[in-house]
Amino acid sequence: MLTIQNVTKHYEKAEALKDISMAVPEGTCYGLVGPNGAGKSTLIKMITSIIRDYEGKIEFNEQRISDKTKQKLGYVPQDIVLEENITASGNLYLFGRIYGLKGNKLAQRTKEVLALIGLSERSKDKVSTFSGGMKRRLNIGCALMHNPELIIMDEPTVGIDPQSRQYIFQMIEELKTAGKTVIYASHYMEEVERLCDDVAFLDRGELIENGLVSELLQQYAIPSIYIKADHISAEQLESYGDVSQEKDAFLIYTEEALSAMENLISYCREKKIDVERLELVRPRLEDVFFRLTGSNLRD
Amino acid sequence: MMNAVMIVELKKHVQDKGLVFWIFLLPILFTVLFIAIFTSGVDDAMRQEVIQSIVPGYVVMFVFFIMISMVQVFIKDRDKGVTARLASTPLKSYSYLLGKWLPFMFIVLFQIIVLFLFGKVVYDISLGEPIILLILSLFITFTVTAIGLAMSLIVNTENMGIAITQIIALGGAMLSGLWMPLEMLPDFMQTIARFLPQYWAHQSFQDAMAGTTQASELFQTLGVLLAIGLAAFSIAIIRYPYFLKRAVN
Repeated sequence: MLTIQNVTKHYEKAEALKDISMAVPEGTCYGLVGPNGAGKSTLIKMITSIIRDYEGKIEFNEQRISDKTKQKLGYVPQDIVLEENITASGNLYLFGRIYGLKGNKLAQRTKEVLALIGLSERSKDKVSTFSGGMKRRLNIGCALMHNPELIIMDEPTVGIDPQSRQYIFQMIEELKTAGKTVIYASHYMEEVERLCDDVAFLDRGELIENGLVSELLQQYAIPSIYIKADHISAEQLESYGDVSQEKDAFLIYTEEALSAMENLISYCREKKIDVERLELVRPRLEDVFFRLTGSNLRD
Repeated sequence: MMNAVMIVELKKHVQDKGLVFWIFLLPILFTVLFIAIFTSGVDDAMRQEVIQSIVPGYVVMFVFFIMISMVQVFIKDRDKGVTARLASTPLKSYSYLLGKWLPFMFIVLFQIIVLFLFGKVVYDISLGEPIILLILSLFITFTVTAIGLAMSLIVNTENMGIAITQIIALGGAMLSGLWMPLEMLPDFMQTIARFLPQYWAHQSFQDAMAGTTQASELFQTLGVLLAIGLAAFSIAIIRYPYFLKRAVN
């Protein structure tokens, strides 16, 4: 288990993180979300001990992060940190060697990781010839060479095509199945909702909320009804909940979405309103995010 | 661990065509050009004397240009996140620095050997004391790359590194008598020369080529080169935490 206790980080006069405490249970995928400048990357750099001067305590399996515990951590940085002029295998070899792998063990692990990231066929090609998605996958592969127990991923799907994103999701699912703990920092709420069991919301260096994704959805996100119909106005819908307009349709937010929907159907039949589309909208993590952090621009 | 970084660096350098230009083509071009200029219309004895001075002079001047490549590598590592990424691994900071530094030492040593061999094959220069030449080459290699390492960790931008390299390489060459005999320079410049590694390396290279090395002078030169190299290395070690901080941010 990774525990973060009362962690605070100052950058000259600015406070990047304020008294953060959280625990990442073993074998879970833990989402870290927040707007730009929330402190996600700073926290990740502390966990990976890239940043070492901070107040508070970070421990993995009850041990302070040291060279010994670093062997159990794998870090996927937000930037693609690869040697462009050497091959995919060469990059994996580099990280394997840094983590102490040698000889057959290194060759075997390189093969395994190449298969996991779907680059076996391109192992001897230079990274400079790879697409963005392939580089992203290799970036992840480098963090997996030493078979770490905890994998920390900072925005691992930025700027890639849907196929590569899908492939990365499958890799993370496989890592979860293998019992690995994953910390997943992202701006993409749907990714966090899909992959993570737990989530922590950071904003302006503070931990706003954390807990199980399902519980936070229940606690903060209000279900809504989507209705698209001819000759219907917001005023007509106000009695069913809070109404907001979405292009030529309306969203009605209400805790009692099912009964409101029944009443709405009856109303439309009674008033002979021609309904083009009417559906229940599942609450999303993005709603929780906006509810907790607001929608003002941060940078 | 250090070996892993070193092997990757060597692979990258081998593929770097720009580096071939700076360390081999440009020095050879300058050597040929300046020997042609300074030996036109002179007798054979004078011609050979000029060549015996120009070849080691240009070797010493051009080894300093490796600092440009060193700055480029470290600044790129810093800005592309490589330094921060490696700091997240069990790789020690000294292993990272040595892994990056040693390949440049190999390159510079190879450069010196190639340039002297070029002088031997094309101009039939005398290599009177080859073992001493090799020892001097090792020491100047250490000194130059240590200065390059320190500078790489100090400068903020690549352009700043290139500018400082030009000052050190060209300014040092002029003040150390690599371009013209030191005796032709004013007294105060001759005094300044004694503080520069180029002066010591050039003088000792010339003595070794002529086969007239005095042990005391050789040790003096090696001591000066070692002292400057160690001072530069110490600066690099002191500077590394700041470099890492900048890399992280």
